Amino acid sequence: MVILNNTRNKRFNLTINSLININEGKQMAHFAKINEENIVLTVVVIADSDTVNPAQNEDESVGQIYCENVLNWPRHLWIQTSYNTKANKHYTNNVLSEDQSKAFRGNNASIGNTWDVENEIFWPQRPYTSWVKDVSTASWVSPAGVKPDLTAEQAAAFSYYAWNESGQSWDLITS
Amino acid sequence: MEKKILTEQSLYIGDVSMPKNFEINRKELAHYILHCKLTGEKYPHSRTQDMLKAYISENFNLKYKQKLIYKETWGDIYKPLQITPPISNVDPVDLRHSPDYTMLYGVEVEDCIVRIYYDDNRRKGRSWDIPLENNKFIIFPSSNTYYITNNQKDSLNFVQTTTYDHTGR
Repeated sequence: MVILNNTRNKRFNLTINSLININEGKQMAHFAKINEENIVLTVVVIADSDTVNPAQNEDESVGQIYCENVLNWPRHLWIQTSYNTKANKHYTNNVLSEDQSKAFRGNNASIGNTWDVENEIFWPQRPYTSWVKDVSTASWVSPAGVKPDLTAEQAAAFSYYAWNESGQSWDLITS
Repeated sequence: MEKKILTEQSLYIGDVSMPKNFEINRKELAHYILHCKLTGEKYPHSRTQDMLKAYISENFNLKYKQKLIYKETWGDIYKPLQITPPISNVDPVDLRHSPDYTMLYGVEVEDCIVRIYYDDNRRKGRSWDIPLENNKFIIFPSSNTYYITNNQKDSLNFVQTTTYDHTGR
C-alpha cells in the first residue's frame, strides 16, 4: 500500500475515496466552500469516514477540519450540505422521503448560492428583485404567491405561466 | 437592428483576497522562482500555488460562469530597468495545445508594467498598459502579445505566469 501524505496526494486520495465509496454504495458527505461574503464557491464530496469523530458519530466539525487540511481553506468557511434536500424537503432517489427530519439546510448548495447563517439555509439566486424569502420552504416566492396551476386544457395546449416582473403578476403564455 | 458578438478580448484584473491566516505566501513563491532559475528545475507544485489556482478558477467560475482549466505555471525574474521582448504563449504551429488564457500574478514586484497588444478592427497593434502589483493578477487571452517592464532600478521583479484553457460552466 502506498502512503499518500502530501497535499496533492491527499487531494488525489480524496477523489479516489469518493470513487470507491460510489462503487461500494457508501454514504458521502458534501461540503460547500463559501467565501467571506457567504457565497458558495464550490461543493466537494468527501467520504463519511472523514467526518466521523472518535465516538464514531458523524460530526460536521471533523469534516470541516479535514477540508481545511486537504483543501487549504479555513474550516469555518466549509458548510455541510445535503445533496438530497431541495426546498426544505428531503428526497431519496428523487422520491419524497417518508422521514422529512432528514431535510438539511433548505437546499443542496451549488455555486453562487448564499449561505444564510441566521436561518441555516442555502439560498439559490433570487429569480426576480420583487421576490422574497420563504424560510419555511427555503425558496423564493413572488408577491402574487405561487404559480397558478394549469387547467387540463391549458396543459394540453402547452401553455404555461411566466412571471411578469413589471406587472407583478403571473401571465399565462399560450403557444 | 441586432448586434451579435462573435468574439471579444477581455482582460480580468483583481486582487487575490484570501481569508485571514490563509493569505498567499508570496515569499515562498519568490523562493521557488529563484530556485528554479538557479537550478533549471521545473517550477514545483506547492500548497501556496494550489491555493492560488483554486482562488482564481473558483472566482472566475462564480463571476463569469466560465471554467478555467489549468495548464501550466512558471515563474520569471525581471532585472531592474529590464524590458522583455514581446511574449506570446500561443504556439502558432501548435494552436491545438496552446492555452486560451494567460494569468500574470505579482509575486514580488515594484513599478512593474504589463503592456498588452491587441487589434481593434483595422487599427492593428494597439496596446493597453496595466500596472502589475503585489498579490494582483491580470488574465488576458493568450493570443495577445505582451511585454513586461521593470521600471525601477533597485530591485528584481518576480512574476508568476499560469496558462489556462477555458470552457463554459
